Amino acid sequence: MEVKFQTIEGKSVQFYLVLLVFALLILPGAFSTYLMYYQGLHLSGMTNRIPWGLQIILAVFYIGLSAGSLVISSLYGIFGKIEYKPFARIAVYLATLLLIGALLSILTDLGRLDRLSMSFSYFNFLSMLSINPFLYNMYILICIVYLWAMLKEKDRFVKIMALIAVIWAILVHSGTGAIFGFVPRELYQSALLPPSFISAALSSGTALMILVILALFRFTERPLDHRLVVRLGRLLAVFIFVVIYFIFVENAYRLYMPESREAARFFLFDPVNAAIFWGGLITIGSIIPAVVLLNPRTGGSIPWIIFSAVLVVFGVLCERYLIVIPGLAHPTDLLPGMEIADSVIDEGIVYYSASIHEVFQALAVVGMIGFLFVLGLRLLKLLPTEAKIYE
Amino acid sequence: MDRRDFVKAGGVLLAGTTCAYGLPLLSAYSLSTPSPEGSSGKRKWGMVIDVRNCSEGCNACSEACHKEHNITSRGEKDWDIHLIRRVTVKRKYPAGAAAIAEPLSVPLLCNHCDDPPCVQACPVQATFKRDDGIVLVDHHRCIGCRYCMIACPYNARHFNFKENEEWANKNYTRSTHGVPQSCNFCAARIRKWRKRVEEDPEVLKREPEPVPACVEACEKQALASGKKKALTFGNLNDPDSDVSKLIADNPARGIREDLGTKPKVFYIGL
Repeated sequence: MEVKFQTIEGKSVQFYLVLLVFALLILPGAFSTYLMYYQGLHLSGMTNRIPWGLQIILAVFYIGLSAGSLVISSLYGIFGKIEYKPFARIAVYLATLLLIGALLSILTDLGRLDRLSMSFSYFNFLSMLSINPFLYNMYILICIVYLWAMLKEKDRFVKIMALIAVIWAILVHSGTGAIFGFVPRELYQSALLPPSFISAALSSGTALMILVILALFRFTERPLDHRLVVRLGRLLAVFIFVVIYFIFVENAYRLYMPESREAARFFLFDPVNAAIFWGGLITIGSIIPAVVLLNPRTGGSIPWIIFSAVLVVFGVLCERYLIVIPGLAHPTDLLPGMEIADSVIDEGIVYYSASIHEVFQALAVVGMIGFLFVLGLRLLKLLPTEAKIYE
Repeated sequence: MDRRDFVKAGGVLLAGTTCAYGLPLLSAYSLSTPSPEGSSGKRKWGMVIDVRNCSEGCNACSEACHKEHNITSRGEKDWDIHLIRRVTVKRKYPAGAAAIAEPLSVPLLCNHCDDPPCVQACPVQATFKRDDGIVLVDHHRCIGCRYCMIACPYNARHFNFKENEEWANKNYTRSTHGVPQSCNFCAARIRKWRKRVEEDPEVLKREPEPVPACVEACEKQALASGKKKALTFGNLNDPDSDVSKLIADNPARGIREDLGTKPKVFYIGL
């Protein structure tokens, strides 16, 4: 039951083509970042009312995806499920890259990129945005050491690192939830956000791993026991319900309390939010995949599992949008019981739409993650020769 | 790479990270000593706004403020910077009373909270509260992450989305694009006054304390129209100052005091 790992050959035209596509994705985003750095953030879709946009949404999305990958590797590293060992290396490698992608998203979003060194020279122990970069950087280091231990086949060390990595991942994701949860804004302030953030991270990450595993094994023509994917699919179904549970509790609380009822109505029933919440997150991202995965006929079929994994990833992207934007789009209750008019910033509901430059930046980060991922397959022994269930 | 090399490289990497994160400890220590810029702990600047005297259609305060702080108004609602802004306020409940009550004209600005969420949020301590209670942004340290704007419950922080070409008043640093800005109670005026007091303590007796540009403009406007002024500025720690007297004699309150931010801008008649 020895699992053998090897690099991919990486000499085919397709390999170079994929690398080229990812590299080309980076270029426009790099140019957009340069433009924004010299001309200012008015090139983005952000305003004084909505100062955080697409890059922050995607940063928290990547951080979440990274957790899910790590969970797959911990199935082997901590719980000793040997049948998941073939996926352990690729999962940790992807987790590392996704976190680097998240940091890149945040960096491209800074107003003064040139003063990045300030965040190393000055630290504010009260700021969630100061604590989190520290957690992220350490997390990347831990993942790299963890991956190294696996590449060198140091089994006892792997077990220790797996445990450290999972504990640190919980810190990272609670911290990220706290960036939004620990802010005095009606649709942000919530103690439930850190655990809810972890649950969405687990479901989206598992879904992404399913997609990545299937794609890799198919394109490199490696034998894969489909029962492994079916088991991951069932795990995914469980995670979906945990996400829904947290979202239900949060919104039920907000609707029940008179002081937050108006904000909750905006969150749930404003046309844009409703489309994203009920359409994107609940129907497409949760109900359809849950039904597909739990139905014995479709839950065992690979195309259906792919279908629902794509929907879950999309649903969690919607959830990330709902964490960041509605809390800013909804006006703060500056003077309770009063109605504000004629203001330059305070009244009414505003909407956010990303500019073309932000889209380019987002694509560049995708390109960067993809490029390093594909390159890593050739340089490091990440992929197993086969994956099957050992009886 | 064999094991020995890896341990070496890993060790260097870890040591580097530790050092990088150790620096803030040192800087945090040095921050605890008062900077020469910071004023003595004796004064705590605050403002009282009597909204009954604020009239609709008058924008003297914000115009003076923009001039003082080199702010370009481009007429772009999404991006323009307003360190002080006037809004119209109506009572929402009960519905019948709203129809009778006159709408109020209310100037809004940074509340210079004693427990400021923006200072708590800033990851690099670029936003800080001075000993005299003024909340400031260090425009040369700010990395432009905009977390302070997210954290401020008063929408007081506005961001420089565009480069500012005008720089008439050299008492303030030219704000480049990429950093947020909020009211600083005209810190440069206070600094100049303090310097003169240090050189000649008699100035304290001879001259009144400095006031921000908006308060000055409001006083001027009131004198011209023969009405009472709406904005008053002064030392909250001095029981004989104008602001303290106004707060003692009138029902004054800060905005959203329930948030626990302890604002130092008080409103009468709101």
